[in-house]
Amino acid sequence: MTDRRGRQAFAVQLADLLVVQLANWRWGWRSMAVLGMAAPLLSITMLGILIRDSGVVALEYVLVGNVVLALMFENQNKVSSNFAHMQAKGTLHFVATLPVYKSALILATVVAFFLLALPAVVVTIVAGSRILGVALAPSPWVLLVVPLCAIPLASLGALVGSMARTPEEAGSVSLLLTLLLLSLGPVLVPPERLPEALNLAGYASPATYAASALRQVLLGPVSGRLALDLGVLAGLSVAVLWFVERRLRWRVG
Amino acid sequence: MTGRVLSREQDVVYELRDVVMVYSGQQERANDGISLDVRRGEIFGILGDNGAGKTTLVRQMVNLLQPTSGSIRLFGRPVADDPFAVTTRVGFMPQDGAVLDSLTVGELLFVTARLRGESRSGARSERDRLIDVWQLTAVRRRPCRHLSGGQLRLVQLALATATTPPVVILDEPTANLDPQRRQMVWKNLRQLNREQGTTVIFITHDAVEAEKIIERVAILRAGRVVAVGEPAALKRRVDRQVRLELETGAEDPPELGTDLQFHRLPTGRWLVLVGKDQLPAVLQRLDLERYEDFRIYSCTLEDLYLHYAERAGD
Repeated sequence: MTDRRGRQAFAVQLADLLVVQLANWRWGWRSMAVLGMAAPLLSITMLGILIRDSGVVALEYVLVGNVVLALMFENQNKVSSNFAHMQAKGTLHFVATLPVYKSALILATVVAFFLLALPAVVVTIVAGSRILGVALAPSPWVLLVVPLCAIPLASLGALVGSMARTPEEAGSVSLLLTLLLLSLGPVLVPPERLPEALNLAGYASPATYAASALRQVLLGPVSGRLALDLGVLAGLSVAVLWFVERRLRWRVG
Repeated sequence: MTGRVLSREQDVVYELRDVVMVYSGQQERANDGISLDVRRGEIFGILGDNGAGKTTLVRQMVNLLQPTSGSIRLFGRPVADDPFAVTTRVGFMPQDGAVLDSLTVGELLFVTARLRGESRSGARSERDRLIDVWQLTAVRRRPCRHLSGGQLRLVQLALATATTPPVVILDEPTANLDPQRRQMVWKNLRQLNREQGTTVIFITHDAVEAEKIIERVAILRAGRVVAVGEPAALKRRVDRQVRLELETGAEDPPELGTDLQFHRLPTGRWLVLVGKDQLPAVLQRLDLERYEDFRIYSCTLEDLYLHYAERAGD
């Protein structure tokens, strides 16, 4: 019985692992439904009160910045936490003893947590626009932009989670990454209110391109800048997935 | 068996040569020059005390750890060359109870069978078969995170044997199990081996029970193999000894002569291996009134382990 046996095609593995990771909904639904919606809505409400007199552009940045927070960083934190727990409990090594592609596990986890976060993202967009009084003008491009915003940092979350020694360490690194990338560039704050250095640094942050793309497809108008944003996000998604697939600590030592 | 002659590559499932493992940041060798072969279709036991390097060894065999030096071949090919060569041929049960615990038992068995290449209907059949074989009906719909240690162990055994891979490697298959379920485990493993020709490799501390099914054994001590072979052949080397077991509530070992070395066993028992020529003298010194129970019998697998472990320590 030395014949090669028992390996599914990548797409089949991806589908099965996606279902496995979606099952996290069973224990995480309270956190995902309540905190996933409550945190950005509270943030929108508080920031909205603070900058009520700063004009509609500032309010738009608050709305889109919080969508970025929910879509990119919430996802990244959850994926990071999931991998850290799988690492700490030995589940990752259990999966490693099955004929499974690492990339299928990473992609399935990223997509699953993206799907689980979607309700909170939709509520954030709809309720946030009402709270702030910002008019939505969604474009069909939103269907492409939203997943492309989620994939790069969620994939990075897989790497952080798998390399951290403990789930707590993964949480700390993930939070640091969130604060760092959110503060770089015009994500929550319009560029004219930011120091030039932060605007320049923003070109190196995926959150900047995500925020720019989301502003165009949620609030309009869609401009030529969207091509650049999509290109950067798509390129980054491919690059990060490739990098994480190579670096993910699959073995014990 | 067909009776045809197998080539060495076909006959040997695992071939380990001079395997050395030193964990990062440590000086001590967890495995120190281990060389052994595991043959196709045999039931191979690995015995050793805590810290002997058993778990480290099997983790390298399933490619979860990379040896510091030496080589491990599965069906003639280095395991590190193609991870899928291991995962498609070897079912592994780790010592810890890590599974995808957001799933129920039935779901986990189904998904594992799927990932091991079964169609959806095939995976359903395999799930039902495993639930039946490993007596998991009562917990079939229970989330894995809510299982007891013993239930989880049975689920892990079901996972390792899902889709009947040619080789299964089990780290402490009977840990956390009651005597009835331990019997079931040995029976199922024997059946798997007989009916499917599966090569079964396992680590155990339960040498007395494992003796019922083990065909060859490797005894590890301090990272080294101190003996390997068929239990009967190994026993012949030490059969000049008999096993004397004394039951006493005392903390100190019985006083039967300074040349005898006692080992403490669970439940207030003491074990000593006595040379056959020494036995009459020892029995003369034995005050039976002092002991709640005593037994004399020939060498067991556990004695083999104690003998070789001691000898290596001298």
